[in-house]
Amino acid sequence: MSLTSSAAYLARRAAQKERVQILYRRALKDTLNWAVHRHLFYDDASNLRDRFDQNKHVEDVDTIDRLIADAEASYNKWRHPDPYIVPWAPGGSKFNRNPTPPQGIEIVYDFGREDND
Amino acid sequence: MALRAAVLRHLRVPIQTAPWRGGASLRLMSSHDDHITKDEVIDRVLSVVKDFPKVDPSKVSPDVHFQKDLGLDSLDNVEIVMALEEEFKLEIPDKEAVKIDSTHLAIEYISNHPMSS
Repeated sequence: MSLTSSAAYLARRAAQKERVQILYRRALKDTLNWAVHRHLFYDDASNLRDRFDQNKHVEDVDTIDRLIADAEASYNKWRHPDPYIVPWAPGGSKFNRNPTPPQGIEIVYDFGREDND
Repeated sequence: MALRAAVLRHLRVPIQTAPWRGGASLRLMSSHDDHITKDEVIDRVLSVVKDFPKVDPSKVSPDVHFQKDLGLDSLDNVEIVMALEEEFKLEIPDKEAVKIDSTHLAIEYISNHPMSS
């Protein structure tokens, strides 16, 4: 195996690793969305982890690609329609509400008093 | 009119600086009134990492790599980052969350994030 092909192999494996991490992250969040209670989430998360760990030792690059594609398809199929979004994040319930006033703006609490009285 | 002005001048209570105007960062009724200090971030990050089941608590320090020093794999890394997100009520974008692989990076990211609380 030449140097360039092994470098390409390593780059591909690194890309696959990141893809799996992101997929696992999204799937874990989605598990939390589907679980009504926290104690139900723990079982579901453990099952999800087992499904990922089943293919932990697969070495063939094309097989890994196919497995990732299958897993992403199944994630997209079972995605929650109304996921939890942190309130301040885009799409959250507090997004763009009550923003901090810009620096340098000051509210003067003179309660209606005019300069000339 | 002159009488009214004369009476009002004696009746008016002199305006004092309102006590809540002192600290510019204190915003009443706001869930994000002030930012947490870096020491608090370090304490809470370390406690989250120590509570992770696969981690030996005695090995955890503010400058420890999850995979190299604590013996975790990349999916455990994802779980820790998700636990940190829940602890600090954050939503970290997927691409950035994958890059957080040590307590040092996590502390830096969270203490520099404007919405961490």
